[in-house]
Amino acid sequence: MSQIDETEAHPTVMENSTDEYRFQSFDPDTQMLLKTALKDPSSVDLEKVSNIIVDQSLKDQVFSKEAGRICYTIVQAEAKQSDGNVFRRNLLNRLQREFKDREDMRARSIHEWVCYVTFICNIFDYLKVNNMPMVALVHPVYDCMMRLAQPDALKNEEEVDCLVLQLHRIGEQLEKANSQRMDQLFFLLRDGFLLQEGLTSMTRLLLLEILEFRAGGWMLSSTANKYYYSEISD
Amino acid sequence: MSTRTPDRRTDATSSRREHTRSSGPSRWSHCRKRGVDGSMRTDEHERTDEHERTEGRHSSFTTPESSGPVSRCAASSDWGSQVEDNEMRRDLHRDLQRYRRRILAADGPHRERKASSGSSGSCDSKEEESLETDEGVLLRRQKQISYGKNTLAYDRYIREVPKHLRQPGIHPKTPNKFRKYSRRSWDQQIKLWRVKLHAWDPPTDNGTQEDNEEQLDLGDIMDIELDFPTLAEPGPQAAHAGVMEDPEGTGTPVKVQRMDAAAASDVV
Repeated sequence: MSQIDETEAHPTVMENSTDEYRFQSFDPDTQMLLKTALKDPSSVDLEKVSNIIVDQSLKDQVFSKEAGRICYTIVQAEAKQSDGNVFRRNLLNRLQREFKDREDMRARSIHEWVCYVTFICNIFDYLKVNNMPMVALVHPVYDCMMRLAQPDALKNEEEVDCLVLQLHRIGEQLEKANSQRMDQLFFLLRDGFLLQEGLTSMTRLLLLEILEFRAGGWMLSSTANKYYYSEISD
Repeated sequence: MSTRTPDRRTDATSSRREHTRSSGPSRWSHCRKRGVDGSMRTDEHERTDEHERTEGRHSSFTTPESSGPVSRCAASSDWGSQVEDNEMRRDLHRDLQRYRRRILAADGPHRERKASSGSSGSCDSKEEESLETDEGVLLRRQKQISYGKNTLAYDRYIREVPKHLRQPGIHPKTPNKFRKYSRRSWDQQIKLWRVKLHAWDPPTDNGTQEDNEEQLDLGDIMDIELDFPTLAEPGPQAAHAGVMEDPEGTGTPVKVQRMDAAAASDVV
């Protein structure tokens, strides 16, 4: 049932890493709750914990990049402690509810929407089932990426930035899980880069880079890397 | 029950007994560690009796619906359940592959003979033919096994009796889900296994282990003993008795009657 090997994930390792997590933005009680969830998950209300993490991720983009690691640790701890998956179930189902309302969310707040995409991609990256990405998330993550590649979103640098960042991180895994949809996504990105008027040069730069990045097998050649990241011009 | 009686010392598990059993919770339920949702259960959660569960489909055999709104796109289920189903399927297929490898290894000499005679298909050995590969059946069986393992009794059993000391016919043995059995035979094996596991139930409030054993449904046991001959499937069982090891050990509860032969070879 559990994907966790008994021999790994020593509690001491988990305890040591607990302090690294960014919980400063929470009130003391919540910090305590989260720290307990990492060490002794079955002693806390894991549904509440999952909601706290999602709520914070939707507000705080820095946290949403961090949250996958935290969730991973809690999932592992719970599986090891009680072979349970209450936390994962609640987390995924909450993510699903937010996913259904994503258009409303985007209309309400681009920031929240970008945080959501960052978070779900982070979860996709960190939470695995038997070392494979969770199949249930493949299409939803693609749907988010496709949404970010629509013309109205490409006009918005915050969304473009989010799109290329996520593709840098999980693009390769996504393509392995479903290459057809990656092709479709890149049709949109090429069209956006080539045909869409009114894009800023920064947006074009980001798009060009991600096009090259995938074309190079999800990495940049050293010359491309120099081109995009070198501060010194010849 | 001639099974070994676990010692009566109180241990950590006995702290779970603080609720009195005045409300008479089913003896099958009070040892369950976790509920359907995976959270540690308390004694307030009532569980139906084993009799009821075998008759109809127990509610916990079905995937619980999420409390959230019903998905528009995914007709199947919520993400949490999808991931769990997926995880279970993968585990099952991994186990099945492992089981097949074991069969091949045990079949070693035959394979060589076949290879030398130029015949192909070392896979169509009798063992392979009697493999249960239907995913639905395997998932259902895995669930039944999981319910049995999700008990305090099971934890106590595996803690107190190391694997190499377990003897066929004396100690409970997890039924082999990969072997072809009729539905009836399988359910009976599960039932027998569960009954045997109850010898390791933690002691209860109002008495010692003996009390506990006396509470054991006599009707249940009688039922099993009387039913026993009729559930025999002479084919596969006779053909394969004692040949294979399953991932959990050798044999199945059905083979209890043949234990002397098996024990002779197993016990040094």
